[in-house]
Amino acid sequence: MYVIVVYDMEADRTHLMLKLCRRYLIHVQNSVLEGEISEGDLTTMKGKIDDLLQEGESVVIYELSSDKLLNRSVYGDDPTEDSRFL
Amino acid sequence: MDRNYHIFSDGRIERSEDTVRLETIDGEKKHIPVEHAEAIYLHGQIDYNTRLMSFLNDHGVAVHVFGWNDRYAGSLMPERGQTSGRTVVEQVRAYDDPERRQTIAASFVRGSIHNMRTNVTYYNSRDYDLGRVLEDLDDAVSRIDSTKDISELMGVEATARRAYYRTFDTVLPDSFSFDSREYNPPPNPVNALISFGNSLVYANCVSAIRATALDPAISYLHEPGERRYSLSLDIADLFKPVLTDRLLFRLVNRRQISRDDFRNEVGSCLLNEAGRTTFLKEFEQTLERTVEHPELNRKVSYQYLLRLEAYKLKKHLLTGEPYEPFKRWW
Repeated sequence: MYVIVVYDMEADRTHLMLKLCRRYLIHVQNSVLEGEISEGDLTTMKGKIDDLLQEGESVVIYELSSDKLLNRSVYGDDPTEDSRFL
Repeated sequence: MDRNYHIFSDGRIERSEDTVRLETIDGEKKHIPVEHAEAIYLHGQIDYNTRLMSFLNDHGVAVHVFGWNDRYAGSLMPERGQTSGRTVVEQVRAYDDPERRQTIAASFVRGSIHNMRTNVTYYNSRDYDLGRVLEDLDDAVSRIDSTKDISELMGVEATARRAYYRTFDTVLPDSFSFDSREYNPPPNPVNALISFGNSLVYANCVSAIRATALDPAISYLHEPGERRYSLSLDIADLFKPVLTDRLLFRLVNRRQISRDDFRNEVGSCLLNEAGRTTFLKEFEQTLERTVEHPELNRKVSYQYLLRLEAYKLKKHLLTGEPYEPFKRWW
């Protein structure tokens, strides 16, 4: 499945969420990650996100059953492009 | 399914923030999501340290190294999660029993000829007249059962493959002439593409075998040599027509790869950086492509088919259930 994760954290804690999500997804912009993920990994990640959050912080996860359902237009550089060929 | 990551730049990969980070020579930093990685392929000059290796080990990620002239130089495999003495014992027993070995080896040959044949049939139905080759392949198949030893079987396989390679010059445009299969080093673009593609198939099979408890050095069709994972050669043969050859035809015929994608040196011809990237991108997309599996009743990726092949072989060795080689069914 394909997910988009956006988060809002206390300024000095944003790196924690980035660090967590980077293990599964591609960092596209400040506080936004996206990418293909398995259902199992998604469940694990959700658990970890939940553990990390403090009061006043939030994470929103948009799930699509496949990236084919997503109409994605990018203006400027696409950070996900060729992310497997470095 | 986890993905393969390919690193072409020169630089350094390290463990950083609980994932893998590449720092290129120009100082650019890129992250690889470790939870989503099957293997990392190193094509450039890369430094790494033991801390990274233990980290990849914990996550079961393999590293395949490609050296000078794109040659497969070796793999750094994660510690074996799967160990089973019984499997290895059965694997050796089957190798040591001439009759069993012959049966398994014959399956590999039958499967690979079938997969070559589907490629030929496909192009035969599209403007090319390849009837002669089809006959030759059928002829080879009919001789499999009467072979008495492995060398004879290898002969049948070699004859079939020669006939199959004859179709390349028909299917490919004139600017890409093939002549015959040669390597070390490949003399022309078509050979260079086959070599590069086949080494990728081989490395992917190494990963697939590693997912089981099978010993990659004990093989049936190929003689278990030294310094090579010969079981990977056995399995790779089944998949080369599906993964390498079809892709090659498509890329060349659609002009996605042209003569500018190669660099020629005296007596050798190799893909240059642009060519390798084009080829790899399409190769990875092919691995991710899925087909409906008739027995599993679900969609599986081509990459998973490699792993299924290792599972099937293991099951045959342990339970005696007949081994049916992978035959392209779609």
